[in-house]
Amino acid sequence: MSTPPLPSAPAATGGPEAASTAGAAASSPSPDRAAGSSPQTEQRRPWLTVLVVLAVLGAVLASVARGYYRDGPLEPDAPTGQGSKAVVQVLEGLSVDVEVDRHTADAAADLRAGRTVLVTDPRGLSSTQLAALAEAHEQGPGRLVLVQPDDEALYALAPDITRSGSLSTASDLSPGPECGDLSQGARTLHVPGEDGLRGSSSLYRASGEARSCFAAEKGGLVAGADRLVVLGSADLLTNDGVANGDNSALVLNTLGVDGELTWYVPSAGDPLGSDGQDLLTYLPDWAGPLLLWLLLTAVIAVIAVARRFGPVVVEPLPVTVRPQEIVLGRARLLQQADARDAAATSLRSATATRLADRLGLRRESALDGLVMALAPHVDRSPEQLRTLLGPTPVPDDQSLVRLAQDLDVLEKEIDR
Amino acid sequence: MRISLTPRAALVALLALPVIVLWPRWWTLLAMFVLWALVVLVDAFRAANPASIRVRRESPVQVRLGRSATGRLLLTNPTSRLGRLEVRDAWNPTAGLAAQRSTVLVPSLERRAIAQTFTPARRGEHSSRALLISSRGPWGLARRTAPADAQGRLLALHPFGSRRHLPSRVQRLREIEGLAAVHQRGQGTEFDSLRDFVDGDDVRSIDWRATARRRSVVVRTWRPERDRHVLIVVDTSRTSASRLGESTRLDAAFDAALLLTALAGQAGDRVDLLCIDRIAHVSVLGSTRTKVLHDVVAATAAVDPALVETDWELAAAAIAERSRRGSLVVLVTPVEASVMHTGLLPVAARIAKDHPLVVASVADPALEQLAAGRGDIESVYRAAAAERARAERTGVSRAFERVGAHVVDAAPDHAPQALADTYLALKAAGRL
Repeated sequence: MSTPPLPSAPAATGGPEAASTAGAAASSPSPDRAAGSSPQTEQRRPWLTVLVVLAVLGAVLASVARGYYRDGPLEPDAPTGQGSKAVVQVLEGLSVDVEVDRHTADAAADLRAGRTVLVTDPRGLSSTQLAALAEAHEQGPGRLVLVQPDDEALYALAPDITRSGSLSTASDLSPGPECGDLSQGARTLHVPGEDGLRGSSSLYRASGEARSCFAAEKGGLVAGADRLVVLGSADLLTNDGVANGDNSALVLNTLGVDGELTWYVPSAGDPLGSDGQDLLTYLPDWAGPLLLWLLLTAVIAVIAVARRFGPVVVEPLPVTVRPQEIVLGRARLLQQADARDAAATSLRSATATRLADRLGLRRESALDGLVMALAPHVDRSPEQLRTLLGPTPVPDDQSLVRLAQDLDVLEKEIDR
Repeated sequence: MRISLTPRAALVALLALPVIVLWPRWWTLLAMFVLWALVVLVDAFRAANPASIRVRRESPVQVRLGRSATGRLLLTNPTSRLGRLEVRDAWNPTAGLAAQRSTVLVPSLERRAIAQTFTPARRGEHSSRALLISSRGPWGLARRTAPADAQGRLLALHPFGSRRHLPSRVQRLREIEGLAAVHQRGQGTEFDSLRDFVDGDDVRSIDWRATARRRSVVVRTWRPERDRHVLIVVDTSRTSASRLGESTRLDAAFDAALLLTALAGQAGDRVDLLCIDRIAHVSVLGSTRTKVLHDVVAATAAVDPALVETDWELAAAAIAERSRRGSLVVLVTPVEASVMHTGLLPVAARIAKDHPLVVASVADPALEQLAAGRGDIESVYRAAAAERARAERTGVSRAFERVGAHVVDAAPDHAPQALADTYLALKAAGRL
């Protein structure tokens, strides 16, 4: 609790020390504050703002731009190397109606409706999905195109075709005489071998009514049966691979022959995809009640441990106040206003009062009297004393600190 | 009465697991739960009734801050069952009770004691907010809890740290009174004795009649008057709430008031004490000389600062009512510029007309530390602001001196001695 300013009581604060001068000379603030203070920060801030705004804008634009397509292997909208935007766009240019499905049920319905259905990843299909597709294929007039199916998919959809091996080197394959219209007019197919989208290309052997085409050592890259075509490599359809050899001829003709194409990309969120078997069904029948009882026991334990024995006791603490707030506040005010002369005046008058007390002068005696009384006791000249104790302006912060230290030294000299 | 579970109740519930595994039905769960609840309830009602346990408290009435006091809780079990009791004595934390909870076994028709040690950390009144007794069942699955009616109060008295300065001041007092060594020609009016004139004695004190009877010149000596009246007025308003070092300004003010009370009691003066802010809320009036210190210590123990302004007109009225002309009035209030706005100065002027008046103030030692700061520009500005504040304090105290008051302004650890010395100086000068 310290004293607030006392402008209305000059009689009470009598003596020269109470008279305050407020001639504040403008200069830079203290050196330790200058580093973090306003001018530099204000200059830097616009650049920072512009940078931040640009970064945010760029991020937003990038996310919007990315939002136009879904990237993934054989995604019909993806312009990346693994996508298939090129094939889809060319097909649409050829006035083929291309529709994208992600659920087996939709694809099966399209198959029944007589559309050509391309299954981009038969290996990801569960047995239920494969059965649904097979059923639709048997019922309907639609054609089915499988991209690199595995044995399970072949067994379900095309029992006449089997996987006979893989082609791990990049190679160009030509249609043999046994192809017939299965080659769709393509003279050379190019596949990248091991570096392909799904590793090595698959080779298939046909039996019964099925035929295979573009033969390598162990089988044909393309196989066909009744309303069904098997493509041995996903790279025939990708943006990167479709332009090699006559891949485009094979793909476009195979897919566009009916004028209606369903591009079926199997997705993880397919309701048919999950087989309805979860781990819970393997638990014994007493697990549920047991778990419930354990839960109940845990609740009981929590209630028992959380018991509060009696009330929370509040302490009636007496109020206390920090007494130096006003002094510190005034100091900060002086410093922010650079009121060096006002500060110097308080320091000087305090020293003058103490010196006058020690020398036995009257408190109200003027500066001249004090200087004359001091002069014989100290090494300084009267002029120096007058500069030190009189109302000399203080140009900067360093001089104020030096003044305070000089006043200390003067008092110590008189004490000796 | 409340029934609560113990952790053991949860463990017992686990015993039902084999049954549930063997007959995994939902109604088995229900049956097990009902069974468990029945067992717990039976255990709870086999416990001794906590409401019939009789409690007697033997607690200390008051203790000086910084010391420890011991007390006891006596628990009597009038029931026919063994009491497995858990007791919580909910004192406020600064009462410094070593252990609030204790467990004790009280056999039927017997009595047991729980020892308690209090080391208060705060001056003032402490109390036990609740005393709860819970009684555990024989299987330890549940307990019944009931509150017991046993009021607990403890008054933590002011530490009176300045009492170590009392002997030296009493010594000075004895010198002034002349009981110990020196008889001096004081200005008191109470005749003490006659003695021979020595060089330096005031000629006005020569007793001519006695000199005429004897061959040598004889002077009269007086001693300072006894049975004077000292009225100490302590300001408990917001300015006394300042934290100076470890304690508040009010604590230092009471320290000074207590030392003065003790000293004045030794000097044979009557002391009255008044604590005042917006109302006069605590007063010690008309105590005998032997009891006054104890009364003042007890009365000031529970006084805390309040965030209000002091009504000095009210204080003046109270002083006028309680003092007669010539009695010493000691105002214990900070000498600060803010006090000037509360109208203390004219009141002080009025009091000083009729009474010797001492204004005792406890200064903030931090101000001096701030004023000595020289390191960097920030501390120099702080020093300047602190010097300004000190100059204002000097101005205020000079204003008080101008209206006739004696001002004592000292840091907390010097204020009691300074006030006592001023009192002694007034005694020596015969102003009292």
